[in-house]
Amino acid sequence: MKVLIIGSGGREHALAKLIRRSPRSPKIFVAMDYLNPGLAREAEETGGGWYIAKTTDPQAVVKVAEAVSPDLIVIGPEEPQFHGVSDALREKGFSVFGASQGCAEIEKSKVFARSLMWKYEIDGRLYFAAFKDVESAKKFIEYAGDVVIKPARQAGGKGVKVIRDTEAYLTNDRLEVKSNYVEKIFEEMKHYSDIDYKVLVEQRVEGVEYTAMVITDGDTILPLPLVQDHPHAFEFDIGPETGGMGSIQGPGWLPPFITSDEFNKTIKIVERVLEALQLEVRDRYIGAFAGQMMLTGVWGSTVIEFYSRFGDPEISNLVPIVESDFLELLDRAASRRLAGAKLEIDESVVTIVKAIAPVGYPENKDLASGHPIAVNEVGIREVDCEVLYASIELRADGVMYTRGSRAVEIVCKGRDYEEAYRRSELAIQHIKSLDGHPLFYRRDIGSQELLAERIRLANKVRNVYLAKARKGLLGKSLVWLPDRGIFENPLIGFREMRNV
Amino acid sequence: MSSLLTVYAFDELWNLSNTIKYGLLALSHRGSNTVVCGVEPSTKGRLRCYGGEIREDLQLQVGNVVAAAVYSDSRLDELYSSCSGDGVELALFSERPWKRLGELACEAVKIAREGDIWKSFANLITMYLQHNEAELIPSLLLITSNKEVLAWRSPLGLTPLVLGGYGFDMAIISSESVAIDILGGEVKRFIRAGEGIYISKYLVRNIIVDHGAKPTLCLFELLYLARPDAVVDGVSVYLFRKMLGEKLAENFKGDVDVVVGVPETAIPYAIGFAQRIGKAFDIAFVATGGKRRSMILSDPLEKLIAIHLKMNPVRSALEGKRVALIDDSMVTGATLKTVSQILRYRVGVKELHVFIASPPLVASCPYRLLNLDTRTMLTANLSTDTAIKYLEVDTLHFLSKEDVDAIAKRFGLRVCGRCFGSNFLGG
Repeated sequence: MKVLIIGSGGREHALAKLIRRSPRSPKIFVAMDYLNPGLAREAEETGGGWYIAKTTDPQAVVKVAEAVSPDLIVIGPEEPQFHGVSDALREKGFSVFGASQGCAEIEKSKVFARSLMWKYEIDGRLYFAAFKDVESAKKFIEYAGDVVIKPARQAGGKGVKVIRDTEAYLTNDRLEVKSNYVEKIFEEMKHYSDIDYKVLVEQRVEGVEYTAMVITDGDTILPLPLVQDHPHAFEFDIGPETGGMGSIQGPGWLPPFITSDEFNKTIKIVERVLEALQLEVRDRYIGAFAGQMMLTGVWGSTVIEFYSRFGDPEISNLVPIVESDFLELLDRAASRRLAGAKLEIDESVVTIVKAIAPVGYPENKDLASGHPIAVNEVGIREVDCEVLYASIELRADGVMYTRGSRAVEIVCKGRDYEEAYRRSELAIQHIKSLDGHPLFYRRDIGSQELLAERIRLANKVRNVYLAKARKGLLGKSLVWLPDRGIFENPLIGFREMRNV
Repeated sequence: MSSLLTVYAFDELWNLSNTIKYGLLALSHRGSNTVVCGVEPSTKGRLRCYGGEIREDLQLQVGNVVAAAVYSDSRLDELYSSCSGDGVELALFSERPWKRLGELACEAVKIAREGDIWKSFANLITMYLQHNEAELIPSLLLITSNKEVLAWRSPLGLTPLVLGGYGFDMAIISSESVAIDILGGEVKRFIRAGEGIYISKYLVRNIIVDHGAKPTLCLFELLYLARPDAVVDGVSVYLFRKMLGEKLAENFKGDVDVVVGVPETAIPYAIGFAQRIGKAFDIAFVATGGKRRSMILSDPLEKLIAIHLKMNPVRSALEGKRVALIDDSMVTGATLKTVSQILRYRVGVKELHVFIASPPLVASCPYRLLNLDTRTMLTANLSTDTAIKYLEVDTLHFLSKEDVDAIAKRFGLRVCGRCFGSNFLGG
């Protein structure tokens, strides 16, 4: 069986490893934007091949597909979906695993995603407001207090500003930052012509994040185990947002801080969103879908955003634990035969993924790019871990160079978090910078200390949402403005109170 | 003693002038003066430092990276130093007076321009630690005009350091967790003894520099210095104080009608005591004017003024009653003498039993943390009998070193009690 993977990073490398284990002995072909040494090797070793192509260009990808003539095409990242690559391939009659342009709107447009949840009254939705012009956005910000400001278009998992505004004595300083940030986003969104709303302002929530990924053929939904990503760049959840510095999973389907009831509610939300989405865009959703969730005091399971693909690095956690034929699942989804499919995983282990990135990531891509790196794969295998290549390019001189994002991931499993953690810390030492440019990773991911903190925080928010549920207040935070009445929308801050 | 505070906003959009001010206010119970250094946007690449009293109307001009300290001590040249060279400016703050601070600041500025300052600073400190007065090296906070900060907790770990975060935007390091709370942040980690945190725009990482000494937390941090809403090395200050109060009650064989805590920092102890013996806890005194901490003032008249202003009695709660009066510690006894005079002559209590939630103080601090003189310590100079007569109290009780030690151990803490005459508690 010939499988063509579209995409260049760590997620695609994880998919290649999962697909490769299939008893159908697939030949793996890859269309990638740069020469990812991991993907190239998976392709070569399975008797397939690789192509360098602009993966967001439907024509370029169709050309590769026509040359390969694969039995199944798996689209890894979201940007090719946004650009209509899945649709172009399906039009040519290929069997494709990956959301169509219409369905991928759920990730591309955060306004669309939020509006959909409100229209269909799906649980876990947050209050929000969206803006097309900078002045009305700034005006709104003046009145909204405790908020998150996001670019309305998915822009590589970055650009979210979380402004906790629960201290009136600092509210003016925060307003200034919010206002300047809104201007900055409008400036940056200028070059995206594929979206009308530019800025989204939404209710700020706090809690424990987790990712709920599923595979779907539009009718059947097959949930994957929950995974927790770590978006902060630096240890102990400090510093700017990244695409994810690592993730943990297990044992089994749930991390220790999520209950099975919360898991079921999460899957229910995902199901309802997929139903609503397909109705709304009048298209079938075939591919991977994920809810970036947070357990909050407002709702319990709450939606932060959606991915129209597998999470990166979350999918990497599945590499050591999937026991089923993963290729078969993708193939059945692509050909709308997912009903009755089952995913078997090794429930006896936990997995830890850690990404290593060059200093400069995520804010300064130039600083983080072009640094040679060496990976001692033998050393990593000796401690029972695997290596995945992400934002790293093999150049003609035979050396791997960073491309500005997370360069390499290591994937480790263990009977418990202590064992997996110990292995991950040993494995990551086998990745070295060759030019002295420092690399960084998070030692705290998978540690007992951080895990205990997550459990503590989850218990705290659980008490809050269960109390809200008892009063029928899930999703609501009432605001009373004397003479004007009770409002359920909490996007009204100190300044509005002052105007009364 | 001083307290350290740094706020690092990764995004240049932030102006931290107000933020640092409120952070300092949250620490002003530890001292009323401050030095604040930041890289002001209009002075590109230059460090600007301000000094003065901490007030709510304090006008500062700092950018997105700022470091500061709160002082209760007059030995400022041993607590704060700056140095510049080759276009780099550096300011260094210390947790307690240290004679070599200025020297270290100028050596640190040399390494600051070489890159990887966290690595070279670690080497530098390692050299200082090999010196024979290694235990005098305090916790340090440095900031450079390159917008780098590094906070390092001394290997003895006498006073705490806490790392906090605010969303994706800020890292905060403070001597006390309350500053992180007040800035709307989340406490992320209690920095360990010998551990340092380096913060720059593109890298945050920790360093470990120690010399194998067993870390030991200053008992006064828990007894008196920290706010009751603070968490020190994972331990709730409030619960710790309550438990010392309970221990005092367990040791007490007599009977009282009412329990009071004086001054207000002693209230958690009194609550613990009252709950344990099942008697009422009452408010004894109401303060006039702003909060002043008499113990950290060094001028004797100012100290008395501060004490007198705290002490207007709530007579109805106390008159004719047998009173248990709880305090955290006794230094000169001046507060207690004043209180007993008021309770005896102005209120007319029937009996006055005084309980001190720590052992008798007998020595000055060898680490120069607290500026206390042995000659003025009541318990170092008077016998208990004489003290009872001088203070005009019916009985006077202290916790033993073993009592404090047992409670510290229950909280997993090893505390320093050298001013109580014990080499170390909690060994």
